[in-house]
Amino acid sequence: MLARPPQTRALHWLGRQLFNRTDPASFFDPLLETVDPMLVQGQTLARVEQIIQETADTRTFVLKPAARWAGFQAGQHVNICVEINGVLRTRTFSLSSSPEFWAKQGLVTLTIKRLPGGLVTNWLHDNLRDGQVLGLGEAFGDFLLPETAQPVLFIAGGSGITPVLSHLETMAAQDFRAPVTLLYFVRTQQDIMASERLHAIERRYTALTLKIIPTDESDKPRYLKGRDLEAVPGLKARQVYLCGPMGLMELANKQLHEHGVRETDIHSTFFSTAAPALNSDLANQALGGKVQFRKSNLQASSEGDASLLEIAEASGLAPRHGCRMGICHQCSCRKTSGTVINRLTGKASGPGEESVQLCISIPHGPVTIEI
Amino acid sequence: MKQMTEDQLQELAQDLNSIRDEIVADLGERDANYIRRVIRLHRALEVGGRVMMPFGFIPPVFVAATVSLGLSKIIENMEIGHNVMHGQYDWMNDPTLHSQTYEWDTACSSDSWRRTHNYEHHTYTNIIGKDRDYGYALLRLSDDEKWHPAHSLQFLSYVMLSVFFQWGVSLHELEFERVRRGEIRFRDKIPFLKDALRKGGRQAFKDYVFFPLITFPVAPIVLAGNLGANLMRNLWSSTVIFCGHFTEDAETFDEEECENESKGHWYLRQLTGSSNFTGNKFIHLLSGHLSYQVEHHIFPDLPAHRYPEVSEKVQEVCRKHGIHYNTGSFRHQYGTVVKRILKYSLPDRLRMRLESQPA
Repeated sequence: MLARPPQTRALHWLGRQLFNRTDPASFFDPLLETVDPMLVQGQTLARVEQIIQETADTRTFVLKPAARWAGFQAGQHVNICVEINGVLRTRTFSLSSSPEFWAKQGLVTLTIKRLPGGLVTNWLHDNLRDGQVLGLGEAFGDFLLPETAQPVLFIAGGSGITPVLSHLETMAAQDFRAPVTLLYFVRTQQDIMASERLHAIERRYTALTLKIIPTDESDKPRYLKGRDLEAVPGLKARQVYLCGPMGLMELANKQLHEHGVRETDIHSTFFSTAAPALNSDLANQALGGKVQFRKSNLQASSEGDASLLEIAEASGLAPRHGCRMGICHQCSCRKTSGTVINRLTGKASGPGEESVQLCISIPHGPVTIEI
Repeated sequence: MKQMTEDQLQELAQDLNSIRDEIVADLGERDANYIRRVIRLHRALEVGGRVMMPFGFIPPVFVAATVSLGLSKIIENMEIGHNVMHGQYDWMNDPTLHSQTYEWDTACSSDSWRRTHNYEHHTYTNIIGKDRDYGYALLRLSDDEKWHPAHSLQFLSYVMLSVFFQWGVSLHELEFERVRRGEIRFRDKIPFLKDALRKGGRQAFKDYVFFPLITFPVAPIVLAGNLGANLMRNLWSSTVIFCGHFTEDAETFDEEECENESKGHWYLRQLTGSSNFTGNKFIHLLSGHLSYQVEHHIFPDLPAHRYPEVSEKVQEVCRKHGIHYNTGSFRHQYGTVVKRILKYSLPDRLRMRLESQPA
């Protein structure tokens, strides 16, 4: 694995002296990117090598990360960063390929489904082309395979299959010697993501039992049943991996407990779908919510139209601020999750990480702020 | 200041808010591309200037290198640093262009600037006693302040301030005049002074020690060129900033009339306390669009390259409400600034006698 170039203290010091920044190399990025975007030093980029249409609304993006990207373990996610109409947007996706594939070919894949109304997923489908670049963060997440071969059960739903694809590719490549079962819930046969890849793995990796269950093909929805679990040999001895929509995860958790699977053997990760766009007027919205001030390790609740600045001050914090009327941006800071309403415009923010002005932002549901 | 009723002020606020909303809704790729283009230009000029400078023993190369580095500092300070720190590009969500973390290429630390300029100056614009940018606690520019014999030499102070402008700005927050009057304690200013020294030291080290040293045989040439580039930036930025609030018709306010003011009143104060100057695209770029000081003061966090298009609409609003829109050629506006500095350096009796004479 290629490590990042060592950022020594001396380099930091010189960077601050000469360029007023800790990473002197990134000073030249605006020039370097006109030569080749992959030369950029301030962030790690990846180039789109190929785009594969998996289903009507799912595509696999094959990416070549810059050499300094540190690699990943099967089941981990990455943040990708794209600029949409001038705004940098960050979203988290699971890598759907195996670390072996990255080691051999220097490539990774993201398998991404269009979310109805989703800004980033739809943009990726509509605008991203071969040869373009996007920001790629380092991998994170602990949805990892057991270190030694043990029986495994995967329960995946919809696009929750993506980290499991990475797991299965890895197990097949390493010849993971233990029974492996995948229960994959899809709406209809047409919605199977990466169906060819799944069947190819099934053919060459005989330890795998693959069961694809369409939920919406009969009159009554066909969800996870006790019978599905009972059909898995040696269920109690298995490490169980859950990934899918909330409904499936809750149902699976409940049934696994009923079948005597221990809490410590259940590993889960889930994707929350983007919050529905808020259209109604400021007056009609239930304002307020739980505010988490992450760095101060403080929590506060608010009701009504108290601004984040007021809430922080009421909690005994003293965030930097100035005019208290949205002009001077002294109080701008990072929101890592949650939605806020802009007091001046009445508009709702996005759900993701972005900069907000504390003095004019009103929480709308739970919000996490980096103070 | 023009007297307006609360209803009129509210209408003024609504008119200006709707101009702002229109631009905010339209922010996007065009603005991102603009600032990135300017940043590329800055990097090219700075790299070009630094690379050429050691060859400055050839006179035309010396001029080119100094001008290139000077322009790079002007563009970085005015169009990039000043504007980024106002939060004009925060919406881009780009960590390298974030108002609260950006550090600019001048002696004043960004943190100090954000406090004294973004907050104090932009909130209390031209309120005598609250806006310390009005005359920089050095110059007497209105009769709100009593004349003192020392004021008769204030044109000299002005020239010195302009020449050493980056250092003047970096020590602005020291509030030396208030320390001297005993209003605040010197020791409370020590953390600020430490910060100012660190940042100022960094800037001096870079331009006057590091780059001359690594080009040792031609060190004096590089040092001279770097001094020249800094001087160029100091004179220009000081001139632009003086044209923003000290022109003939730029009004001043007292604390009382601004207590508990409405947004409309704040807008009116920004409109009447600021002044523009006209020029071509290049002049606007070099001034960081502070040539549109009026627009900048009513909408400090809109991307500055939008001010020309905003200006048309603001002028319309001013006409509608009968508010004077203060603009003129650069020569005219700067001329009135110089006149103002000279005029108020005189004792009131003498000044009034001169003023009463027909021009």
